[in-house]
Amino acid sequence: MAGFARPSTLVGIAAPMAVWALHFVVLYSLQGLTCGEGWNPRSSFWAMVALTIPALAVIAWLGLRALRTARAAASGEPAARRARFAAQATGLCAVLAAVAVLFTVVPVLLLPVCS
Amino acid sequence: MSEARMDTLPPEENRRRLEALARIWDNAPGWRGQLTAVNHGTVGLRFIATGFAFLLAGGALSMFIRLQLAWPGNQVLDPERYAQFVTLHGTTMMFLFAVPIMEGFAMYLLPKMLGARDLPFPRLGAFGYWCYLFGGLFLYSGLLFGEAPDGGWFMYVPLTDATYSPGRGVDFWLIGVTFAEIAAVTAAVELIVMILLCRAPGMDIRRMPLFAWAMLVTAFMIAFGFPPLILGSILLEIQRAFGFVFFDVARGGDPLLWQHLFWLFGHPEVYIIFLPAAGVVSMVVATFARRPIVGYLWIVLALVTTGFLSFGLWVHHMFAVGIPLLALAFFSAASMAVAIPTGIQVFAWLATLWAGRPWLRVPMLYLVGFFITFVGGGLTGVMVALVPFDWQVHDTHFVVAHLHYVLIGGLMFPMFAGLYYWLPLASGRMPSESLSRTAFWMVFTGFHLTFLPMHLTGLLGMTRRAYSYPEQLGVHWLNLLSTAAGFVLAAGTIAILVDAALCFRHGRPGRRNPWRAGTLEWALSHPVPAYNFASLPVVADRYPLWRDRGLAARTMEADGLLGDPSSGRRESLGTSILGGVPEQVIRLSGSSWQPLLCALTIAVLLACFIAGFYLGSALMLVVLLGQFCTWAWTTGDRHAPATVQAGPRLELPVQYACRNAPGWWALVVSLLIDGSLFASLVFAYFYLWLGTDAWPPAPMHAGAGAGAWAALALLGVCWIASATSARLMRRGGGRALALPLGVAALAGAGFLWMQWRAVASGTGAPGEHAYASVVWTLAGFHAVHVAVAMVVGLFVAARGQRGYVGVERPLEQRIAAALWAYVAAQGVMAWGVIHLFPEWA
Repeated sequence: MAGFARPSTLVGIAAPMAVWALHFVVLYSLQGLTCGEGWNPRSSFWAMVALTIPALAVIAWLGLRALRTARAAASGEPAARRARFAAQATGLCAVLAAVAVLFTVVPVLLLPVCS
Repeated sequence: MSEARMDTLPPEENRRRLEALARIWDNAPGWRGQLTAVNHGTVGLRFIATGFAFLLAGGALSMFIRLQLAWPGNQVLDPERYAQFVTLHGTTMMFLFAVPIMEGFAMYLLPKMLGARDLPFPRLGAFGYWCYLFGGLFLYSGLLFGEAPDGGWFMYVPLTDATYSPGRGVDFWLIGVTFAEIAAVTAAVELIVMILLCRAPGMDIRRMPLFAWAMLVTAFMIAFGFPPLILGSILLEIQRAFGFVFFDVARGGDPLLWQHLFWLFGHPEVYIIFLPAAGVVSMVVATFARRPIVGYLWIVLALVTTGFLSFGLWVHHMFAVGIPLLALAFFSAASMAVAIPTGIQVFAWLATLWAGRPWLRVPMLYLVGFFITFVGGGLTGVMVALVPFDWQVHDTHFVVAHLHYVLIGGLMFPMFAGLYYWLPLASGRMPSESLSRTAFWMVFTGFHLTFLPMHLTGLLGMTRRAYSYPEQLGVHWLNLLSTAAGFVLAAGTIAILVDAALCFRHGRPGRRNPWRAGTLEWALSHPVPAYNFASLPVVADRYPLWRDRGLAARTMEADGLLGDPSSGRRESLGTSILGGVPEQVIRLSGSSWQPLLCALTIAVLLACFIAGFYLGSALMLVVLLGQFCTWAWTTGDRHAPATVQAGPRLELPVQYACRNAPGWWALVVSLLIDGSLFASLVFAYFYLWLGTDAWPPAPMHAGAGAGAWAALALLGVCWIASATSARLMRRGGGRALALPLGVAALAGAGFLWMQWRAVASGTGAPGEHAYASVVWTLAGFHAVHVAVAMVVGLFVAARGQRGYVGVERPLEQRIAAALWAYVAAQGVMAWGVIHLFPEWA
C-alpha cells in the first residue's frame, strides 16, 4: 500500500472522504440487511461498532501521513510547495472525515438497529 | 517557470499571425456558421441564453401556480392543469435551467479563466447543447399534444406507472429529461478533462481559480449523481413501454426503489447547483473585496468534502416513508455534517470582505442578497434534517419555502452576481447601473415577501402540491401576499434579463477589466477573439493580473506559446494534472454539422419511440451508429507530426502520442459514469431481492449451468485478445491490430449468444416477475456494452489499416483495449449477480 493515494495527489485529497463514504454505505447496507433478512441485531450492532474502528484508523493514518508530508515539503521548490498544499488539504479532509464518521456512528450507539 | 518568448516580432508579422488565428478559429459566416459552430464561447453563450429562456418559461408557469393559490377556492387552473404546471415548473427549473446555465457559465468561462483556447472536445460540447435544446423542446411538446406530465418533478410511482398515468405525459417527461441529461453528462466529461489537463503553464493546483475547483468537484458529482436518475428513468420507461416490472408490488417490485434512485440523484443535485454558484461567489468576492480570497485551502477542503457528504443525504427526502429509525438517523447525521463545510465557505467569504476594502457595485449587491437568503435556507435545511421536525412539516409549504430559499438563494443570486460580473467581458459594455440596482431590489424584496410567509403557511398546515386549501386554515392573506410579491419577483427577473440583453447593444462601452479583477479571463481584449489568447499566458500566481501588469498585453502578441498559426489547425496546450507543466499540443476539431445531425437523429428516434413506432426507432439507431462512426473517423490525423514547436525553445508531442491524452481521460471519466450506472442497476437488483420473499421465485432460476460458464470463458477470450493488441501493434504496426481485435469481436458475439440462451432458459419472459425483469435488464445492459466494445474494436482495427493508429499514435488502441477490459470486468460482476447469486441466496 506504499503508493496508495499519496497525499500529494488529487485522489489523495479525496481519500479520507472516500473512507467516510465506504463506512457510511457499509453501515447503511448492514442495517438494511439485518432488518430485511432477520439477522441478529445484536451482532449487527457490534459489527457496526467494530467497523468504525478500522475506518477511523485509516482516516487517522491518512491524516498523519499527510501531516508528515506537509512538514517534509516545506522547502521553496514549486513542486514541494504544491505537495505541501495537497498534503494540507488531505489533512483537513481527514479531520472532517473523522467528524463525519463519528456523526454516523453516534445514532448506532443510541438507537435500536431495527424499529 | 520562465516564459519562453521570441525577442520581438515585427508588427506586420504579428498582424498576419492574428489574422490567421482569427481565420482558423472563427465560426463560418451566416446561418450555416451558427448551426455548425463548436467554439466554446459560442456554445457557452447559447447554453446561457437558452437557460434564461427556460427560466422565463418555468417562471411563467409559477405565476399561474401563484394565481391559483392567491385565494382559497380560486379557479384559475383546474386540478389537472395545476398538476401539470407544478410538474413542468419544477422540472424546467431543475433540469432545463439550473444545471445547464451553470454548465454554460463553465463552458464559456473556464477556457478563458484557465488560459486555454477552447475546451478539449468542442464538438462534444456542441452536441450536448443540441441535446439539451431538443430534450427541453421535447418535454414541452407534450403540451401541444395535451399530454403534459403531471406526476410532480420527482415522478413518484405508482402514480406515474401505466395504470395510474395511462397517457403519454410521463413518457414525455422520462424521455425528454433523459435526452436533455446527455448535455449534463457530456459536460461532465468535457469539464473534468479541461480542468485537469488544459490549464495555462504554471497554473498548478494551488493557483487554480476557485471557480475551476468548484466545477471540478461538480463535474465529478454529475458523473456519480446523474446515472441513478438516468437508470431510474430507463427502468420506468421500459416498465411502461414493454411491461417489465420494477416498481409494482404485486409482481415483486417496490415503488420505494424509484424514490431511492431518484433521490440518489436528487440530493447531490442540490449541491451540483450550489457548488458552481459558490465558485462564482469566490471569484466575485475576491475582486470586490480587492484582495486575494482568505482561506483558499479551506474553501478547497469545503468543496471536496461537500462533494462527498452530499451523497449521504438522499434518504432525508424519504423520512416519512417508514424506513427504520437508525437508517433515518444516518442520513440525519450526514445532513447536519454537510453544514460544516458550507459554513466554512461562508466564513471564508466573510473574512475576505472583512479583511479587504469592499466595493459595493452591482455584482456585490447580489452577493449580499445571496448571503442573507442562503444562510436562511441553510438554517431551515438543518431544521428539516431533524427527523421529528421533518415529520411535522413534511409535504407542507414550509418545505417549499426552504427549497426556494436554498435554490434561489444558493443559485439565482450568485448567478445574477456572476452575470453582472462577467457581462462586460462577454459584451464589451457596461450594464445600466440604475436598472440593475432597481431590478435587484425588486428581486430581493419580491423573493422574501413571496417565500418568507410560506414558512408560516406550512407550519399552519398548508400542504404542498394541492391546488387549493380551506379558508378555515386562515392562511389566505399570507397567500395573497406571496402571490403579489411573486409578481414583483417575476418583474425584477425580467428586468435583469432585459438589462443584460440591452447591454450587448446599448451599454456604455467599457474598458478592459472594468472591475480590476485578477484572473486570466480579464486579460482578454474586446471583442473577445474566438481564439481567446494570441499566445497562451504563463502563470505564476493565483491572481496573475494583479501580480504581473504586463501579462494582459503580452497575451495579445502572437510571439509566445502557440502564437505561430502556421499549422493551420486549432491548437491548444495540454499541461500536467498537478503541476501545470506543458506536456502536449492538443489539436482540436473545427466547425462541424455532426453534433447537430446526431442530436436530430436522436430526436427523431425518440419521437418514433414515444409514438410506439419501434421499427422507426430501430432504423434511426442504425443511422445514429453510422453517424457516430463517421464523426469518430474524422478525429485524429494520420499525417500529424510526432512533435510540434509549441513556442520558442519548446517542442511538445501531439496528443495522439501523449500518455495523458485528453481522449484517454475522457474514456476514464466516461467509464466512471458508466460504472455508476452499472452500480445503480446492481443496487436495484439487491434492493428488489431484499424486499421479496422468494428469490428467484419458482420456477425461475438463472443458475450457473454449463452454458453460463461457457459464456464467461468467451468473455475471458475477449479480454485476453484485446490485451495482447498493444504487443502485436508494437511488433507489426497498426495493421497488426486486425487479428486481436477481430478475435475479441468474434468472442464477443459468441458470448452474446451463449449468455442470451443461458438467461432465456433460466428466467423466461421478463414481464412475469421483478426478478426476471431485473435479470433481463442486467444482461441486456451488459450486452449493449459488449456490442459497443465490438464496434469500437473493429473500428480501431480498420483505423489501424488506414494508418490512423500505430506505434507512433497508440491512443486509439489503448482506448479499445481499456474499454474491453472494463466490459470484461463489468461482465464478470454482472455474471456473478445473475448466475451465482441465486445459487447462494
